[in-house]
Formats: sequence, structure tokens, C-alpha cells
Amino acid sequence: MKDKKMWDWETPRKEIPIKEWQDRFVWIEEPHVSCDGEKIASIVNTDEAEFNVCCNGETWDEIFEKAWSLKFLPDGRLAVLVSNDEEWTICVDGISWEKRFDYIWDLKNTPDGSFIGAAVQKEGLYGMVVNDTIWDSLYENISGTILSNQGASAAVVQVTPLGQGDIEGFSQGIFSIAVNGIAHPESFMNIWDLSFDSKGKQIASSIRKNRVDYSIIKNDALWEKNFQFSWKPEFINNNNSVIAPVRQNGKWFLFKDDMPLWDKSYEQLWKLALHEDGRKIAAIVSDAFGKWTVCENDTAWGLHFDTMISNLFYSDNGDSLIATVKNQGYWDIAVNGKSWNIRADKLWDPVVSSNNEILATRMEKDGRFYLVVNGKVYKDHFDRIFEPAISPGNDKILLKAVKNGIYSRQILTLDKVL
Amino acid sequence: MQDTIIENEKKKPDGKNVIDDGVEQGLAKLTPERISSVINQVLTKEVGPRFKAYVETCMRCGLCADACSIFLSNDRGPEFSPAAKVKQTILEMIKKKGNVSKKVLKDAVRISYTECNVCKRCSMYCPFGIDIAYMMLQVRRICHKLEITPLYIQDTVNSHSATMNQMWVKEDEWIDTLQWQEEDAREEFEDLRIPLDKDGADIMYSVIAPEPKFQAGLIYQTAVIMHAAGIDWTMPSFPGWDNSNMAMYTGDFEISGRIAQAHYEAAARLHVKKIVMGECGHAFRSVYDVGNRWVGWSMPPVNLIHAIDFYHDLLTSGRIKVKEKYKKTVTLHDPCNVSRGRGLHNKAREMVNILCESFIEMTPNREHNYCCGAGGGVINCGPPWKGTRMVNNREKKEQLERTGAEVLIAPCHNCHSGLEDIVEHYGIGMEVKFFGDIIYEVMEKTVYKKNNLKEG
Repeated sequence: MKDKKMWDWETPRKEIPIKEWQDRFVWIEEPHVSCDGEKIASIVNTDEAEFNVCCNGETWDEIFEKAWSLKFLPDGRLAVLVSNDEEWTICVDGISWEKRFDYIWDLKNTPDGSFIGAAVQKEGLYGMVVNDTIWDSLYENISGTILSNQGASAAVVQVTPLGQGDIEGFSQGIFSIAVNGIAHPESFMNIWDLSFDSKGKQIASSIRKNRVDYSIIKNDALWEKNFQFSWKPEFINNNNSVIAPVRQNGKWFLFKDDMPLWDKSYEQLWKLALHEDGRKIAAIVSDAFGKWTVCENDTAWGLHFDTMISNLFYSDNGDSLIATVKNQGYWDIAVNGKSWNIRADKLWDPVVSSNNEILATRMEKDGRFYLVVNGKVYKDHFDRIFEPAISPGNDKILLKAVKNGIYSRQILTLDKVL
Repeated sequence: MQDTIIENEKKKPDGKNVIDDGVEQGLAKLTPERISSVINQVLTKEVGPRFKAYVETCMRCGLCADACSIFLSNDRGPEFSPAAKVKQTILEMIKKKGNVSKKVLKDAVRISYTECNVCKRCSMYCPFGIDIAYMMLQVRRICHKLEITPLYIQDTVNSHSATMNQMWVKEDEWIDTLQWQEEDAREEFEDLRIPLDKDGADIMYSVIAPEPKFQAGLIYQTAVIMHAAGIDWTMPSFPGWDNSNMAMYTGDFEISGRIAQAHYEAAARLHVKKIVMGECGHAFRSVYDVGNRWVGWSMPPVNLIHAIDFYHDLLTSGRIKVKEKYKKTVTLHDPCNVSRGRGLHNKAREMVNILCESFIEMTPNREHNYCCGAGGGVINCGPPWKGTRMVNNREKKEQLERTGAEVLIAPCHNCHSGLEDIVEHYGIGMEVKFFGDIIYEVMEKTVYKKNNLKEG
């Protein structure tokens, strides 16, 4: 990602009119904005079955028959899945990859944007492509694709064909984990929830051994215990250990390397959040039916939510444990067990300042979009708003929003917002 | 498999004669020890006070019998009454402390999967409100754990587990189908979109997998309706788009939970306000009542409405206007899961009256309506059981015939397929349609309101 220090944190306001785009094109799709807020782009229709990308008013040279899944990469480049002459590929900043496929989807990238990957289908076989290099081996089917932070790719692949209605064949196990295109020799009835270690060298997942027995596999080593179910595992302890939510006797537990890690059991336990390689572990839990909370190192918050907790994560320094929650039908942010109480209709996960003192996010309420910082709703409202950013000095907010057909990039000092 | 189907078709349609390869192969592997172990595990570790209360409360009064269309279709044969179905299956397992024969298990499969639609009509007539469908689902749970589920529905559940959809639709096939429908629909509106993964759209629209697999035109119709109504909507390109759930009906509660989880996670990931689901009843039951609750969500974590609710709102708010009412005489089938299960029958009638010139009620109706005969996973047990399903649907056939209507509106996929089978088998001469079919046919093809930026 381009160093945030290099972004323009001084110019109070920059504007790009986008309403006029609708006069230039037959129609425009929803806009996307770069991390630094300097660019706004949309897929645009220029004629019957003719699509292009318009970024800051400029279109690319090449026209496509189809285009979808437009996204800005963290480094500011713009990627989109495109098709011409019934062949699909990825186009980045107007330059299409050389490789062509019969279909491409599930566009993803590493956190720094240096690796771009996707699932692909070619002549009825399935695999992944990463930075214009397709896997050497392709398979009957693919699901659950992931990229490690270093660009390693993995997916659940079907290694054995299955006839129609062949439930016996299915029970023999036809799925395996492929890493960088190479399938593990072990196959299972089901595999879900792939998870790379922090170096992209090892992989763990939930597996189903037979009709009723579930377990966790780390590389090629299965946990010995069978469980009634499991959710996504994570690596901790310098990648030497794996932890996972598992179900036993109708209750959910957190296990580490096939042994109980937390003492308590829950009605539900999933979506692990980690800090410092597992020194702090948190999970979304339900400790009574229909009541959701956060549990950190086996201690639950005193606060409960009746609807949902969608996401949970630590701030970089680990001091804040942040949850996006829904209670009595409204979305909210809860930090270390305390809610903002903003009652949003739509709400996105917040970004956190490096000093851990500022959380900024965006929400929709009563049909209007707002910036929210530390629980305080900024006075202006917008027709559309994008993910905000916080300055490296932790003293300014980058607000990116559209109002009345004009995209604005605003730098707000904290005193204006709080 | 084909040989088995032909063999079954030659025989008199009696469930006792049906050979289902999935059931036969599963039974062959069972030992007495495994049978008793699984049954006792379910009876002692999984079912709760509710189950015990039902077992101890039933007085064998028989009031449930006439509530069951399968009982009525079989000349009121006592073994087809709901209470008798319980007696032949779960009560036998309790009585024998799990030590039941393979014959009992084979009967339990037939009765619980194919002679009970888990439609809950009988519960309305039980003086104690005993939920016999729940009891039958516990039988299915045992059969699932013993691996003796009927082949076709098990294959469907296998698909659910591997792909998160019920028809083995591959991820690229799903997206490609949506883009194909979008392209076709641009013949009507040049700027029509089926917006994929539109973050922050108001509505996520979800369907069941037979739509992209066999009935893509329904997605086309919905896209036209959404566009004309000016709805800010999206569909996920990733798993979670299929709201159906046959695992709920086979007794595979774990996969059922994972399916519901994927559905709601998709909606949360897209930051939508609401999920609108297509015209399917069992899927509604899954995401509104069953799958979500197995996971621990007491209510849907993202607001969820059935297509009846949604279309009713579009029609009564003026977002969709009727150009000219539908001429043919129509009747309405109330799907169990959205009528008894959700009370949408009056809204459905209001819609019929807005859309159609001539409406004939079928009797009984609303929450008292008979099941289509396909529901509860019965139709999903596939061709081996179709002959007996037709026998079991005789009462439904007579109910349909009494209306004399030309068109039967069935706002549910399972109902739709099952009713088409009845119409064809008994030669009734009715067209079966979804509300979406009728709306698409009679609506004004104009856009209600455009966004400021002309975004699709």
C-alpha cells in the first residue's frame, strides 16, 4: 500500500463531479473510491454490449463486452474482471492479463496489493490464477479460495469425478485441499474454512470425515478427536499451534491442538480474533440462546446483543477489541464491552488510528449516509459514503463521499468531527 | 438408479414396495449395536422436554387424522393418521429402547420422509397442539445418523454441503447464469442490471438453486420487476445465494445450520438492510425458523421477507402498476410454510385481487389449506417415490378440481413442482404459476423512479 504519509493530508477539499458521467455514458454503475481518496471509478456502459471503466472522468482504451467486480487495490491500482470474444481475464489499470479463461470470479488481493488472484474455469476444469499465472493442475470443481498475505493460493478442490446421485461415491471423500495448485493426497467428504498461517506456509481447515464426524486438519495431520461440528481454525504460537471452535455434546468449545483451550462452553462460538500471535484470543459467542456477546480469553463481556455480531477484530496495538453488532434491529459498534449506541440501519467495520484513540466508520440512517468517529455522528450527510481513513499523525480524518452528483475528498481535523 | 425407477414404476404404487437404493444400501451396513446406539443417543442426548411432553401428552384421540391429506387420500387408512405415524416410528423406537429391526427402520424412512409432509396441519387440530412434524423430524434425524436417507434427497444434501446450494451449481455457473439473464432482460430495459455484490444495497435477493439450474427465466422476471420498481438491490456472486435447505428435512441439522449461516453472512457482508427471498416456502421455514435457530439466532439476524410480502408492498405502494388485469380464472394455493408458518395468506389474496379479474377460493384455504403433497422434502425423495406421492395427493387433486379454475397460483417452488405433478398425473388441465409470472405479465414496463446518478 502506498505510504499513508505520502497522501495529501493538507488540501481541505477536492471535488470530482460525477453527475455529468450520466450524460457521457448510457449508464454508470456504482462508484468505487481509492484508499487515498484521489480516484473515483465506475464500470460504464458505452453502447449495446460495450463496457468500459471510467476513472476520474477518463476511460480506458480497451472496450469490453462484459465487465464486473471492479475494485481498487490497496496500492491505488484498479482491477476488474472483463470479457471479450467469450474469453475472460483480469484487467488492471486498463491493461489486460495475457491469460484467458472460460470464466473468472472471486477477485481477491493480498493486503499490500502486490498479488491479485481469482478462481478460474478453463475447458470445464477449475483452479486459481495469481498474477497472471494459472495453477499447473486444474480440477473438477473449486470452492473456498484464499490468498495468504504473501500471495500463496489455496482452495477446496474436487479431485474425483462424481456421477449423478452417487451418494456412495460422495461418502468416500472426493474433496481435497490444493495449495498453489497441488492437491493434498488426503481427501474428505467435506472441507471448509481454509486458513493459512501468517507466513503462508501451512494450512488448516474444518473437515467432515463421514456423515456425523467432523474435525480439524493442520496440513496433513488430522486432530484425533471427532466433533459434532467445527468452524474456521486459526494458527497461533508462531504458527506451531492451531485453535478452532468445535462442537461437543451440543455445546461449543475452543480447542487448541486437539485439546480444550477455554474452560467454558457456549451455545455458539465462531469468528476468532487474534492479537500478538494468540496471546489475546477473542471470539463471537452466544452464551444463551439468542444472546450474543464477545468472549476474550474465556471471559465474556457483560454486554449482550440480541440480533447479531457480524465482525470482531483487535486494533493493531491490541488495546481495543472491536465488534460490529446488531441489537434490537439496529447496527452499532462496541469497543471493549461498551457500545456507541448509534442505531444505524447499515454500518461498516471501523478503521482504527495507530494510537488506538480514534475509530472512524460510515453508516446509513434514515436513508442518509454519515461519517461516524468515536461514536459521534458528523453533521453532514451524503448520498453515498466510502471507507474513511485516519492520518498518520492521528489528527485528521479523510472523508470520501458523494453528494448531489459531486464526489468530494475532504480532510477534517478532529476538532471538526468530535 | 434408472433400473430402480423402472422397477418401482412397474409395481402398484405402494410405499412399502418402493426400492430406494440409498435406503437399501444404508440398511445393509447397519448392525443391531449401531442401530440402538444411534437411536438412544438421539433420544437421550438430543431431544428435550418438548419431545417428552409430546410423547406423554398424546391421548390417541385421533383428531389429527382428518387433518392429514395423506390419511384422507388413502381412504382414511388408520396407519396413515399422524398419531399412527408416530406410533409406528418413534414410539416403537422408545418402546424397544432402540433395539428395532431393519424392517422397522425401513418403515420409519417411508413414513417419516414420504408419508408426512411435516406441514403441521395436524397440530392445528390436535387439542394439545402436539407438533407431530417435530416428532417426524426426529425420526428423520435418526435415519440421517444411521445413513438410511432416501437417495435423491441425500444427494441434494450432499450438494448443499459441498457447494452451499442444492443443485450442484458451480460457482461460475451461478454468476454466468445471472449475467445471461441480465443480458436477455436488456431487451426490455437497456440499462437493466442484476447487480452482483453491490455493497450497501438496500436489498439482497436470494433464490433456490433450481432457479439458476432449470428456471432461469424466473430470475429474469424478478430482475424486470426490481428494475421497474426502482429497487436498490443486489445478489451475491458467492455462496450464500441459495436460501433452500433440504438438510433441514433429512435431519442433517449441522449442514442445515451451515447453510443458514452462509445465507445471513452473505447479507451481512453486503451490508444490506433486508433480504427478499423468492417464492419458496421450505426455504422460508429454513431461514426464518429452523436453520437460523440451530445456529443460535433466535430471529433472522438480517430482516427477511418472503416474495409475497415484497410483491404486496410493490403493488400496494404503486411501485409496480398493473397495466391490465390477468383475464383467466385463478385459484390460490396457500403454501404451508408461509401461510400456517407466517400468516401471509391475506396478503396473497390482496395481491390476487389486484392482479387478476377472477379469483376462485379453494376449500379449505388459508392456514387450513392442505399441503401440496410435495413439501417437507417429500418431492425431493425423487422418482422412486413419485407413484406413492401421487396416491397420497388424491385429496389435494380433488380440492384443486373443485375450484374449476384455469390457473393455480402457487407461491412456492416445492408446491409448484408438486402441483404440476398432480395436474399432469390426474389430467386436471390447470396451469400452475408463480406470482412473479402473473406480475411480469400484467405489469406496466416502466421504471418507477430513477436514482439521481442513473445507477442500475
